[in-house]
Formats: sequence, C-alpha cells, structure tokens
Amino acid sequence: MTSKITPPATNGWLYLHASQLLIDYQSALQSAEQQQQPQALAQNAGPGKRYLVQANQAALDAGVSVGMAEVTATTLVPALQLRDYQSWREQQILQQLAQVIYQDVAQIALYPPQGLLFEVRSLLRLYGGYEGLQQRLQQRLQDWPVRLALASGYSPLSARLLAEAGQAGLCSDPQRVSAALQQLPITASKLPAAQIKRLQEVGLDSVGALLSRPAAELGARFGKAVTLYLAELRGDYLPPQHYFRPPARFYQRLDLLSEVSNWPQLLFPLKRLLQQLEVFLQIRQLSLRGLTLQAYHRDRPPTKVRVNFAHAVWQQQDLLNLCQLQLENYKLTHPALELSVQAGALEPRTATAGTLIHGDPDSDDHATTAARPLGELVSRLQARLGAAAVQVPMPVTDWRPERAHQCQPWREQQASAGTASLPRPLWLLPEPQATESKHWQLQWGPERISSGWWDDQAVQRDYFIALDEHQRQGWIYQSEYGWFLHGWFT
Amino acid sequence: MAQPLQKLQNLQELVSKGWVWQGQQAPLHKQASDFIDSGWPELNEALGGGWLRGSVNELQIERPFSGELALLLPVLRQQRQPVVWLNPPAELYAPGLQHQQLTGTQLLIRESDTLRAVWALEQCLQAGGQVGLIIAWLPDLSAPLVRRLQQCAERHQQLVFIMAGAMAGTMARAQPQIEARAYVNRLQVWRDGDFQIRILKRRYGWPLPPFPCAIDQYLPTRRRSQAKVLA
Repeated sequence: MTSKITPPATNGWLYLHASQLLIDYQSALQSAEQQQQPQALAQNAGPGKRYLVQANQAALDAGVSVGMAEVTATTLVPALQLRDYQSWREQQILQQLAQVIYQDVAQIALYPPQGLLFEVRSLLRLYGGYEGLQQRLQQRLQDWPVRLALASGYSPLSARLLAEAGQAGLCSDPQRVSAALQQLPITASKLPAAQIKRLQEVGLDSVGALLSRPAAELGARFGKAVTLYLAELRGDYLPPQHYFRPPARFYQRLDLLSEVSNWPQLLFPLKRLLQQLEVFLQIRQLSLRGLTLQAYHRDRPPTKVRVNFAHAVWQQQDLLNLCQLQLENYKLTHPALELSVQAGALEPRTATAGTLIHGDPDSDDHATTAARPLGELVSRLQARLGAAAVQVPMPVTDWRPERAHQCQPWREQQASAGTASLPRPLWLLPEPQATESKHWQLQWGPERISSGWWDDQAVQRDYFIALDEHQRQGWIYQSEYGWFLHGWFT
Repeated sequence: MAQPLQKLQNLQELVSKGWVWQGQQAPLHKQASDFIDSGWPELNEALGGGWLRGSVNELQIERPFSGELALLLPVLRQQRQPVVWLNPPAELYAPGLQHQQLTGTQLLIRESDTLRAVWALEQCLQAGGQVGLIIAWLPDLSAPLVRRLQQCAERHQQLVFIMAGAMAGTMARAQPQIEARAYVNRLQVWRDGDFQIRILKRRYGWPLPPFPCAIDQYLPTRRRSQAKVLA
C-alpha cells in the first residue's frame, strides 16, 4: 500500500504550454487600438455547435470564457470579433517559438499545437540552475507577448501535466513536483476518457491517489496501458522524443486581418516579416540573395514577386529598402488578404571585413574590400531597373567571335578568364552588319577563323581590320555570304 | 557714362545666370592632385593639368566609334575600381577589353528612360567611391539634369564623361552655337586625317581651336599607310 514515490534526483524536463498561442500571436501584430477589441477564435464541435477555443484579454475581461458556445458569447458581448481557429497556423507559430528558444535550449520537442518540451538537465549547469534558465527564457521571450505556463518536472509527462493544468513553477526539487502532481485531479491526467471513468469508479479521483497505489496491482486491474503511463509519469520509462531541428529555409505567412489594396499598405506587415527573417538569419549566421513575396487574394492565384539581390543581405533595413525599390515597379491588381515571405538558398555569411584605415586605394586587398559596397550598389540598381539592366562583359573560351564573350549579371568575385591578346575590337555589334568591301580600306589581316563544326553553328570567316570612309577602324569579315562589319576598335 | 554702367550690370546679370563664364588663365586654388592625368600632354595642358576630379565632362562626337574610347584609354587603364558604362552604343567586347589591358570590372547599365538613367548615375556617384569612372551615353541631357549630376560628382569627387552626339549644325568645323550647360569641360572630337579635339568650354581658359591628338598609338597599327610613308 505504501509504495514509496521515489522520484529521480533532479527535474530534468521543462514544459511550455501556451493555451492561447494563436490569438496572442495575432493580437501582437495588431495596433494597440485593435488589441482593445474583444476577439476570440471559434471551432466547430459537430453540426451547428461552435464553441470558443481562444480569447484575448479584452474578451475575457468582457465576460467571455474559453469553452463557451459561440451563441452565448456573441449574445453576451455583441462586439466580439470571431475568427476561425486554424490549427496549422498555430503549429507554424509553435515552430517559430521553438526556433526562438532554440538559441538557448538545444533539445526541444514539439507538442503541437500548443506545447514545447525542453530537455534541460544538461543546461542547468550552463545557466546556473533554474533561476538562470528562467531569466534566460524570459529575456528571450520578451518580444513574444504570449500567455504561457512553464513547469518543470522529473519526467516529460509530469512537466506536461503540470503546465497544462496551469500549475506553473520552476524548481529543482522533485519533491515539490511530486506534491503538485498529487494534487491534480484525475481528469487532468491525459489518460483516455474511458480509463479515467474506470479509475473514478473505484474512487481514484486524483493523480496522487493513482501514484500511491502499487503499480503492479494497478496494472493487473486496469491493463498494461496504465502501467506504462505510470512508468512514464515517474520517469522510469522515457518515450523517445522527436527533437526539433530548425528548418533550413524561411517561410512566414501573415494574415492581414483586413483587405489591403496597394503595396504601400503592405509595407508595415512586410516590415514585421522581414524582422522575423532577420532574426532567422541572425541565429544561423546566414545571408540571402533573394526572396519571394506573395500576396494572397480571395478566389485568385496569389501574386508572386521575386526580389533578387546582387549581394548577400541579412539586415531588415537593407531587405526592406530593396523590396521597396522593387515593389515600386509593381501594381497590386486585387486586394490582398495575406502576405508571405519565403527565402531559400541561404548562404553562410562571408566575413568581408573592411579595412579599418580607409583612403589607401593602392593597397592590394582593395579590390576585395570594395566588393561588398559595390554589391549593394548593384542590388539597388537591379531592384529599380531590373536584373537584366546591370551586366558585366566576360570572356568565354571559344574561337567564334560572338561566342568569345558574354554579358552576365554582376556577381561578386568574378572569375576572370585567361588573357589571350589577339587584336580584338572594344565594341562588338550585336548583329554583324552587311557591308561592301569598296567602302573599306583593308589595314590588317586576314585572320581566318574557322570553328564551331561541333554544334552546327560553324563559322568560316576572314577577319580584317579596315578603315571606313571616315577613317574609323572597324573589324570586318568576309564569309561565303559576303562582307560584314562586326565591331569597332575605337 | 550711364550706358557702360548699364552694360556692366547686364553682364553681371548674365554671369549670375550662368550664360557668361569667366575664364581664368591658371587654376589658382587647384593642385596637381586634383587632376587625373588624361594621358595626352597637350590635352593636360589645355585642361589645366588633366581631367578634374569631381567633374562631369562632355564629349561631343561627330560620328560614334571615331576614337572617343581611344581618347579615354589612358584614364581607363589607370582605373583599379569598376568602370560604369551607361547605355553604350554597342556591346563592350570582353576579348577587346583584354586586348586593351582593361582587366578590371566593367559594369554595364542599360536604361532607356533618361530620368531613371540619371538616377542610376547618381546611385553610382554616391556609392562611396566604389566606382572609379563613369562613362554615359546620354544624347540629350537638359541643363537642370547636368547641373544635378555636376553637383553630385563634385560632392563625391568622381569623374564622369557624358558622350553626346554633336548638336545639329555645330560640327561644321565653324564656331559652334551651343546651349549653356554646367559641364566642367566640353570637347568636340572628330576625325579629319588625325584625331581632332576642339575645346568648346573649359574651366580654366577660353575655348581653344581644334588640335590633333595622337590616339592612334593605342589602336591597331595602320600598316598600309606606314608602308606608303616608308615607300
């Protein structure tokens, strides 16, 4: 009868429960005025039955409570703004929250849609016990105005039960956890409803009552599931946890909560998203060269805008400026309901530390230190004029003159090809111009170029440098089709 | 007595409007470091020491490709930083650049709208000295735009060349009639046997009559004509 409860020596687990995660997150994005409006999220519980699952503080103050039927709530508070509860959205937010906490805690398991489990045994020494850890988390979450309950426990399940029951508290003493646990009613035990009913029928109506009975006896009477449950609760059995791995790309979608019909109005929400993107990039020490903005419409495919940067960017201010320049070229044809930012192809930041002492243009490393600001310039130009408007001529190894060269978009660290020093003109005409030899006074040549048999674009030409009537030096050639002007030397 | 005074006031009015320029014989407050060697002694002399740092210069070209790039080759070769080419009249040919030992980065910008092109130029000028030299083909820049560019170039100490076509009728080798612009130097170039430069406007002096410039040393040698001379 007196099976002793011998919990492990320390509380190695922490559970975070945010019961109002979605609505808290949504109202954090709203203006102060909007936050004063009573708002709630409702969910269907069968045909014709809808009840509230989450409510903001204003709604709670007005007398609405979670679990109330929608009809009751709207009768009570006619001004109540109701939205649909979307579980997938809440899960996304939970992921985000996990990412934020991932900076301090390595082992995080997601318990969607509202819970996070942290393995902290290994961290307690790092942060100097629970107090240090708590401070750390508080600091980290100060930008997250979300109502949450944190509870520690000697097993994942014990921490979870306490947090979900609202028995928040962090302490290293397992006895106190055990004491708090014993106070929990059996309905808060997370056991299947049928089990709970059977346990209640024999008078076991608290978790404490359950824990004080011998496990073997309980198992014999109520089945193996209960034995396993108790082992899990005590921490004797640790179910494998799927620990959170931060995603490799950034995707955030924001509900605008009202229709927006032009880009300038989207700038404010965009700023928020880019702020999150900066945090995302900052944590990982990554940078990006492009992102995709999407504006979602009612009954229409979304408007997609791809923004590319010529240099690696990670700061919100830069991102915003470049997006703004780009968006000036676009018109939003239909009102937008949601906005998303997506960024893949992230790359590690390269340390291009500028020289501390400026004003030495002859130093050898000047070219490398110049690369970054030049990239910024190119990004700005490309954002306004279009990506194809800024190019760099690059040599290509091919004997055919028009293929020996290519205009490429600007990139950092251009590779320069070899230096063949054949007499070649500075200007190449986009298309050779037909001409007649009588207008030209041949000066040098011929240089026979016969190449390209391998790809069906063979050329066989005799090139000359020649003077035209105005004594300009041109690059002309004779082929089977006649005489052509191909470039100018001057 | 009243009449000359009246005229003097008129003159001052014209000066203040920028329609009449004051010529100085020598740059008084400028030092050698304020000038970039143009590579041509006769041109350096005419311009007071070379191309002025922080200046917008106009090259009026009678016919494109008649040697304007060869004229700028010495400055181009000095550049260690990227050169910006705005709206060039043909493609810059990479093997040709290599042949002329221009191995630095050449940045090509194409923008047909003049206002946006000027915006791009200003961005380049303001890029904190990350751009070495700017060459822009803008045939028809209005006086306010030129002034804006000149102010910007002066503030950021950058060198800009605007390639413009010759104004109608001015290339008749006669004294041209041109509209005032805020360019520091305005040159007309053409080919008449030799490569000819006429200075229409310069900061430190009066306009100069045409003089030849030996740009051919940077171009492929003219074998036949040499052969003829030898013969």
